[in-house]
Amino acid sequence: MGDKAADKRDVWQGTLALMVLKTLQAMGPLHGYGIARRIEQTSGDLLAVNYGTLYPALLKLEQEGYISSEWGFSDNNRKAKYYKLTRAGRKQLNKEEREWEQTTAILARFLAPGEERS
Amino acid sequence: MRRLRAWFSRLGALYGKQRRERELADEMDSHIQLHMGDNLRAGMSPAQARREAVMKLGGVEQTKENYRERRGLPILETTLQDCRYALRLLRKNPGFTLVAALTLALGIGGNTAVFSVMNSVLLRNLPLPHPEQLMFLRLPNEQPRGASNTGDGDTSFSEPVFEALRKEHAAFSDLIAYVPLAIGKTAVRIGEDPEEAEADMVSGNFFSGLGTAFARGRGFTLADEAAHAPLAVLSYSFWTGRFARNPAILGQTIYVKGLPFTVIGVTAEGFYGVEPGISTDLWIPLQNRPELNAWGNPASGSTLYGTPTWWCMRLIGRLAAEVTVPQALATLDPAFQSAALIGLGTPDPKSRKNILALAPAKGIQGLRDQYDQPIKILMAMVGLVLVIACANVAMLLVARNSARQREFSLRVALGAGPGRLLRQLLAESFLLVTTGAALGWMFAISASRALAAWSSLEVPFSLDSNVLLFTLVISFACAVVFGLAPLHSAVNVQAGSVVKTSNASAQRTKKSSWAGKMVVAVQMALCLILLVGAGLLVRSLRNYETLPLGLRTNGLLVFGTSPLATHSDDEKARFYQNLLDRLRVVPGVESATLLSNRLGSGWSDNNVFAIDGVVPTGNFADIGMRSNDVGPDYLHTLGIPILRGRDILDSDSRTAPKVVVVNETFVKRFLSKSDPLGHTAGGVKPEQRFTIVGVAADSKYTSVEEKPRPMLYFPFWQRSSVSDMQVELRTAGNPEALIPSVRAVLHDLDTNLPMQKPMTQRAQFDESFSQPRLFARLSMFFGLIAALLVATGLYGTLAYRVNRRTSEIGVRMALGAQRTAVLWMVLRESLLVSVAGVAVGVPLAIAGAQLMRSMLFGVIPGDSLSFVGALLGVTLVALIASAIPARRAMRVDPMVALRYE
Repeated sequence: MGDKAADKRDVWQGTLALMVLKTLQAMGPLHGYGIARRIEQTSGDLLAVNYGTLYPALLKLEQEGYISSEWGFSDNNRKAKYYKLTRAGRKQLNKEEREWEQTTAILARFLAPGEERS
Repeated sequence: MRRLRAWFSRLGALYGKQRRERELADEMDSHIQLHMGDNLRAGMSPAQARREAVMKLGGVEQTKENYRERRGLPILETTLQDCRYALRLLRKNPGFTLVAALTLALGIGGNTAVFSVMNSVLLRNLPLPHPEQLMFLRLPNEQPRGASNTGDGDTSFSEPVFEALRKEHAAFSDLIAYVPLAIGKTAVRIGEDPEEAEADMVSGNFFSGLGTAFARGRGFTLADEAAHAPLAVLSYSFWTGRFARNPAILGQTIYVKGLPFTVIGVTAEGFYGVEPGISTDLWIPLQNRPELNAWGNPASGSTLYGTPTWWCMRLIGRLAAEVTVPQALATLDPAFQSAALIGLGTPDPKSRKNILALAPAKGIQGLRDQYDQPIKILMAMVGLVLVIACANVAMLLVARNSARQREFSLRVALGAGPGRLLRQLLAESFLLVTTGAALGWMFAISASRALAAWSSLEVPFSLDSNVLLFTLVISFACAVVFGLAPLHSAVNVQAGSVVKTSNASAQRTKKSSWAGKMVVAVQMALCLILLVGAGLLVRSLRNYETLPLGLRTNGLLVFGTSPLATHSDDEKARFYQNLLDRLRVVPGVESATLLSNRLGSGWSDNNVFAIDGVVPTGNFADIGMRSNDVGPDYLHTLGIPILRGRDILDSDSRTAPKVVVVNETFVKRFLSKSDPLGHTAGGVKPEQRFTIVGVAADSKYTSVEEKPRPMLYFPFWQRSSVSDMQVELRTAGNPEALIPSVRAVLHDLDTNLPMQKPMTQRAQFDESFSQPRLFARLSMFFGLIAALLVATGLYGTLAYRVNRRTSEIGVRMALGAQRTAVLWMVLRESLLVSVAGVAVGVPLAIAGAQLMRSMLFGVIPGDSLSFVGALLGVTLVALIASAIPARRAMRVDPMVALRYE
């Protein structure tokens, strides 16, 4: 069990969608494998994306209308399905970013050394 | 919003599935390729690169499955799949499907039909706006003493009470009066020939207060009531039946008791008026003419509309908004108490208090009390039939599913969880139940029509939303029970047994066959209960049919008449004398007489008469006397034996000395000490006394089931007022053959005069026990169905067991077992089941019979004949059901049986 994957953290439920949207905003249209790799790289390889869970998540975002997909060709000329942000997706991303920032700010205040205590 | 959009998108994904599958495969493929490319660049070997990529993905098929779950609506998809599969299975086994669906149809349909009756009689509201506000007014203590009443003691009010209460708008937004024009039907004429119709005269707010809708024209107004306007409103069914929905009906003239009325409206379909169990044909505003007196009563001084002491009006009120029943009663009571005394002087403080009560207008008023318990018992019986039917279908399903063990274990081996198997089985049972319920609904439509016809209620038992809901609920309950019953055997399947399974090794465990036998035993017990119930009711019916009536009903024709153009009692007496004279010479008529209350119709006159000028004292139960006003030749015509003295004669005319004939019970109770002839009965004053000239044997008056009571027969023309009379004709031939010639005689006398409800006297008495007859027939029908179902259930179980044990039987026979031993083996099984069923059933049947006590007549609940009959019935069922399997077991050829494997 001394696997290196054991040290990595799994992606939290619910944050995967945000990461996907953010990745697509940063990178433009991208295929599933590319999105997964990008998330791993951005996290500094601290996060292990279960590639298998990525596809249902992509499908869900597509069903909700935040992303759209079409078939295209990769750099080395492989056929792949490319996902890109829609207008609704951009709006949703902004919203979720704000909410996330708020949440982290609140948490940060809790976790920071208490000024009132000292 | 987004969620909805996603849901629609998922729903859409149910279509074009193949294209989507291909796309998914392509995407997975491209993912692996891209990942492999990276891995190869990182220096892995191709095999390693592929392996790493697949592992990172977490398995291609697993990912695909996760994806699929998100893509479509898995529950919907698998449900559709299950239904398609179930449909295929049912189609493959048409015999099984047919038997199961028909069994269910019988159970569900029977329950629906009986419930529809219960619904109409006990539960349903009137088809009017806000029916919950409608209240019948009642007199639990009956009318005050001294009031002239209609014989319908607790429903009829006086005009002053109506006028006083209708002003109390704080209680009732509308108080409505309705008064029958006759007991039974009223003479009407449309065109040439006289006929009869149910007619009520009503207050001006009858239609507006009830909120009746109109198919044509309008209803009455308060001005119409005040003017006693000659207007009429027809019911939709009368308009349909009598006028073929002629659109030109408005403005036509209809003669009611010979008086012209102009039709101004037709009520909407489905409105049958507010009379209990009767479909009213036409309504006219309240009238004050003697010819149209309430209830067809002779219009003497004390009983004419406008006479304050004539309690003849039935009342129904619509509660004002937000007023409760106690509030309304509190508002109404002071007005009621003072109005009730008008015309009666100061009340005797010792007499009963006048009480006003309200009863919700629900079901068929007046029939509720009478039908309440019988209908509930019927409902219980038909419920038992449903349980038996359900058990049969469940056993069929279990038996079939145990033959499907291979299929189930294969499915489990392929990864189906118990949930999925459960869903599959539920889908099958739902499909089965839906088919059964649909068939049952059709069955219920015709069955409830038949019930309505049998019960001689005129108001149809329509199948409304209540009934539909009831059917759906019981069907749903059935489906769940069926789905779950076979699950036990299905989920206990071991995946590994798939290969091993063959006919022999799929032998059912002892436990499960024991469960099957227990179900049949319970069915047997229920069947026994039903057969006992049926036996008791049939025996009661037999008693009704064979009980001596004390008169010769064969060859008697009875019909009603009401002279239309007569005004005084003398005229009426002359009319009837004339009628009798003419009828006596009609060919075929042996003798003719008259009577005011028709025998077997339930109506009677009840009073306490003075004997020799002294009113007996005591309870009404002891001193109450019945009387009937009769014509000459009465005892002779009806065939009632004369024990002493003589019959009423033509010579006992209006001016002759007053005479009366009493019955045996009267003599026993009041004049047992001396010769009754020569004593008097009647009023206290000498001029009101009638001399007893004859003693007749006891005979039935109101119905078959009544007990003998003291009875007086008065010559009708010697009474102070002459009622409308019924005519009895005795003939040697078929009584109904007289009808045309009698009708001609009536037509000669008056063209407006119909023959009212002509029928044989036997049929009239039969009508008095139509309800016990209905219930006896129904319970017999249910008993037979139960026996049939139990027989098929037992047969199925035994046949299945024999089938399963064919090889065992073969071995036994090869080892020298006698055929009789094999026969006994099968019979013993069915016998044990029957004995267990009987052991459980007898105590339950005894308890059930006690509940039926009130429905029994001349039979005790522990009637041994009924019990023995039921036991024989169950035994017969067991024997018949086991005969075929036993024969088959006996004929097993050991060689064939052993090769069978």
